[in-house]
Amino acid sequence: MLAPVFTLNLNQKIVPGRVCIGKYDGAHSCLTASTTADKVFIHNSHQRLGVAGGRMSLSQSSAEVSLLNINQTVSAITAGKLTKDRHSDILVVGTPTNVLAYDVQNNSDVFYKDVSDGANAITIGQLGHHSFPLALIGGNCSIHGFDSEGNDPFWTVTGDNVSSLTLADFDGDGENELLVGSEDFEIRVFKQEEILYEMSETEAVTALCPMQGSRFGYALANGTVGVYEKLARWWRIKSKNQAIAIYSYDLDGDGVPELITGWSNGKMDARNDRSGEVVFKDNFPSTIAGIVEGDYRMDGKNQLICCSVDGEIRGYQSSSPESRYSMMDSNIEQETIRELSQRRHNLLLELKNYEENQRMGSSGEILSGKPSTAGDQVGVIPANTQLQTGLAINMGSEDKNIPPHVEIALATTNDTIIRAVIIFAEGIFEGESHVFHPRESALSSNIRVPLYPPKDVPVDLHIKAMVGYKASLHYHVFELTRQLPRFSMYALCTTPVTEPQGYVKFKLTERVARIVMWINSSFLLLDDLQADDEGVLDVSFVSLRSNMPLIVQATPQCEITVRTDNMDLAGDIMQALSNYLNLEDLQVEADFPSELEQLGSVLERVEEYHATRQRLSAEMADHSGVIRTLVVRAEDARLMSDMQSMRHWYGELYNLNKDLISGYKIRCNNHQELLNCLKQVNQTIQKAGRLRTGKSKTAVISACRQAIKNNNVNSLTKIIRTGSA
Amino acid sequence: MGKMDPLFLALSYFKRRKFEKCITACTELLAKNPYDQAVWSLKTRALTEQVWVDECDGEEEGLADVLMDDNTIASVARPGTSLRTAPPSTADGPSQTFRPSTQSGRPLSGVVRPGSQGGRPGTMDQALRTPRTAQTARPMSATSGRHVRLGTASMLSTTEGPFINLARLNIAKYATQQNIAKALFEYIYFHENDVRHALDLAAQATQAQEFKDWWWKVQLGRCYYRLGLFRDAEKQFKSALKQQDHINTYLLLGRVYIRLDQPIGALEVYKEGLDKYPGEVTLLTAIARIYEGLHDLTKAVKFYKDILHHDATHVEAIACIGTHHFYTDQPEVALRFYRRLLQMGIYNCEIFNNLGLCCFYAQQYDMTLTCFERALSLATDHSVADVWYNLGHIALGIGDINLAYQCYRLALVANNDHGESYNNLGVLEYRRGNLDTARAFFMTAASLAPHMFQPHFNHAKLAHKVGDLQTSYIIVQKALALFPGHVDSKELLKTLETHFHTL
Repeated sequence: MLAPVFTLNLNQKIVPGRVCIGKYDGAHSCLTASTTADKVFIHNSHQRLGVAGGRMSLSQSSAEVSLLNINQTVSAITAGKLTKDRHSDILVVGTPTNVLAYDVQNNSDVFYKDVSDGANAITIGQLGHHSFPLALIGGNCSIHGFDSEGNDPFWTVTGDNVSSLTLADFDGDGENELLVGSEDFEIRVFKQEEILYEMSETEAVTALCPMQGSRFGYALANGTVGVYEKLARWWRIKSKNQAIAIYSYDLDGDGVPELITGWSNGKMDARNDRSGEVVFKDNFPSTIAGIVEGDYRMDGKNQLICCSVDGEIRGYQSSSPESRYSMMDSNIEQETIRELSQRRHNLLLELKNYEENQRMGSSGEILSGKPSTAGDQVGVIPANTQLQTGLAINMGSEDKNIPPHVEIALATTNDTIIRAVIIFAEGIFEGESHVFHPRESALSSNIRVPLYPPKDVPVDLHIKAMVGYKASLHYHVFELTRQLPRFSMYALCTTPVTEPQGYVKFKLTERVARIVMWINSSFLLLDDLQADDEGVLDVSFVSLRSNMPLIVQATPQCEITVRTDNMDLAGDIMQALSNYLNLEDLQVEADFPSELEQLGSVLERVEEYHATRQRLSAEMADHSGVIRTLVVRAEDARLMSDMQSMRHWYGELYNLNKDLISGYKIRCNNHQELLNCLKQVNQTIQKAGRLRTGKSKTAVISACRQAIKNNNVNSLTKIIRTGSA
Repeated sequence: MGKMDPLFLALSYFKRRKFEKCITACTELLAKNPYDQAVWSLKTRALTEQVWVDECDGEEEGLADVLMDDNTIASVARPGTSLRTAPPSTADGPSQTFRPSTQSGRPLSGVVRPGSQGGRPGTMDQALRTPRTAQTARPMSATSGRHVRLGTASMLSTTEGPFINLARLNIAKYATQQNIAKALFEYIYFHENDVRHALDLAAQATQAQEFKDWWWKVQLGRCYYRLGLFRDAEKQFKSALKQQDHINTYLLLGRVYIRLDQPIGALEVYKEGLDKYPGEVTLLTAIARIYEGLHDLTKAVKFYKDILHHDATHVEAIACIGTHHFYTDQPEVALRFYRRLLQMGIYNCEIFNNLGLCCFYAQQYDMTLTCFERALSLATDHSVADVWYNLGHIALGIGDINLAYQCYRLALVANNDHGESYNNLGVLEYRRGNLDTARAFFMTAASLAPHMFQPHFNHAKLAHKVGDLQTSYIIVQKALALFPGHVDSKELLKTLETHFHTL
């Protein structure tokens, strides 16, 4: 078994996920983590380790910790080389309102910037063609890239709050791409400001780590970890615990990094990147806070360093190829035996079923058509039994309080019944799968399962249905897969609808027939749609979620208009369409009066909140000045045993303190509102970007950013409408 | 002969810095026409000029700010990168043994500055008890304290009520009128000392100017600085510097970094300012002060000499270089610098005291006592104790123990908080064999002057001598905490440790 090469206890609490390691003097690795009371500690191991070269004792280790006051909640922390000409690392600390880049060695700021979107995730590195490293800050729907002078040459928006960031050479062109995991369950790959790929997951993406080449590991808020190779998911596992940190490190020395995961229950395991098989595990007494890699023993090799929230640190050394096999100790042997015997058991069971079937077949008994009983070894159904499936839109009914939905109908072809259905699909159900089993009395040969897809994404439904006879003990399992089209939640409308005000207009050099084909494939239609004889297409849908209309029109010259009031939906349609048609670049003309009006009012509110915030913070600073004076006065009175005036001063202090607390509450609310507004603004920009494809998309986003910087609302709306200022 | 136009007269008064007369003239004019903006603005300016102080130099951290604020990022920064931690072991220049430190733990400088007198207390108790003698009183906090005492008239009572009633002022209206707003801001900031209203005005005015006027940004920064919002202040100053390079802005930005305890950052700002304004004396002085605070005395002196190249009558630079030479065993050179100061017209007790000491160590004994006589005759209550204390040194130097004893006693009569005198008296008592008295003196000295390591070391040595090893062990560690490089203390500790090991 691989034992930690060093263990030490820092006697400092560590906030989960806020751990990094940096070489602040250019040579020695210092573990840095956020601890309680808004402080960051730096562990200077080399002060002793460099000399003694052995293990550190407990008493010494706590003396080597130096604390940094941040005075704000630390939301993210990382260290890296931000300046090209210097070899030392810069510590970058993110808080909900600003980012501080700090030179630990010289005790001086590199830059200090307000980021009103907050800093949920930070990573440092080379991005794309930028010649200098950037500190990339992921906030609410936006990503900033700061250089060492505090300028932000990189800025873009993303769909939701960024929860994780990493850099990896995704497409293998020698330049790093930015991988962004966000709270809308998406992993997006940015090449420069442009989204290269999007991958949908089933929960908020809490961690990402590059592994090798275009391979990367990810972790979700529901306890899933897995590995992607480009767009293909190699494996994933789900645990009831949450993965706090993931890291890639070659622990078994085979030249391929494993995915190391730190769990909330204190477990730490290393998994093979290809199969997800556990190659090593260890247990900590408390939640893992973070995993980093650094040369902590000054022996020229990097160790894997694992920290728990209680400040326990363990370092693991990559084992040499020779000692790899000694890792397979008795524990693993036993596990293998257990696994194999389990498989044997399963195989035996299967064999028995086959034998039983054969026996029945040879005896010529007609057993089908009646339920199996306890004595029978198997239930038999007619050989020609088929399971038919169909997807349809159910408009629901008002009086039964059933909202409109998509339903999947399952039916058998004869008198057998469906005992239960298990549907497995990502992103539709809570917890990925849905089990439907009617009551004993209501069993029938057809079943309708309602589906409510929350997002417009194509979904693969893996269906397992148990088919047999009533009261039978044995059932046959039918497995099949159906695909739910992307826009299944939109029903074809035959009656004329009121035309929505919002629209997207564009011209394609395509045949209308291809557009029709696209519509047929992405909407749930009973009959395939056709353009009329002149090649004009005019089709209206109604959303099952909101009852809002959606109209798609096309002229024979392929001038297409998509009318909807929902900018999000328009963006989805544009993205899906350009994907289908493989469009490189598409500029559109768009107008969403209600959204744009809202944007204007939101920006006005942002202004107001900023002003209020400034006033409130000045007030607060003023109050706190008075409070300090009062404390000193009161203490002075106490030392002089002048209890009466001490009472007086403390009384005043108490009142002022109450004022301050109520002021703080107002400020909190104000800040929350401000955040919401900013998020809305960012989301609108993102939506405006999604209406376009390729270069035009990037151009729109950066133009919007410029307009917001210059506080020019009119040009912002113009950009969203026309795509340029 | 026709009468001179009263407004012109008032302006003339203002230009000749006859503010009282200017104000009276303006008041008369305003009584006739209360809406005359020109007169009104002139009066505000006159009132402000009366009480204006230079903030960059006159600023001192308040007691409460020191104790309760955590503006510094690194609590234990690497030695040599902070104005608060102990000096680096590699620090050049004379060690603490020769060059005493001030209460703040920084090396003794040539001039007394705000802030160098008070120490950095660990607890509130300590802060309130020890350093608040008559000479070392410090303001309560930045918002009260010195600014109120020094520079503002807000505490003066006026007969007909305040000139401008801030509570009833329509700030939004004035913020848009640039001709009045600036004068009004300075009035509120300096005369009324009402930072909150000043901030309000500045914020609205800079908005009215569409964030294009650097002057308002600097003022906003100043307000934030006074309120203790250093990060906001930093932002404003930096933004102002982008629009307009201004020496004062550089100085203010540097102060922000000093308050954040990032001397290296401050140095960078000052040096950036020097690139734009080569040879600017105020920037050079600020740099030299920081190096002094960082114990990098060689560099500090280099910058002080630089200052003298540009401004040969810079008192601070001359005094600091003199002090440096004195403590690096070159009293003759120091003497020349002090004589230069004397020539420049500085005629006070301190200069004669220093001249006397230089003369003594340069072996010009004939001048020594004359200088000290002059110093004593010029001494104020504030400084007489120091003169007697130095005389005690002279007496010790010529071997007159009795005179030394009397001198120290006299120093204590003048100022019974004089820790150094207590320490030296203790040593004298120790030599006489009065060990109990000596111990009492050392203990008093240690409690009165928490920045000195000598009483601790002396006390430890005494305890070691009488066999009280435990006390000795505890106290010698206190001495080492104040001065980690002190060889004698280290040796004593080593002896004690070997003692304990053999037990």
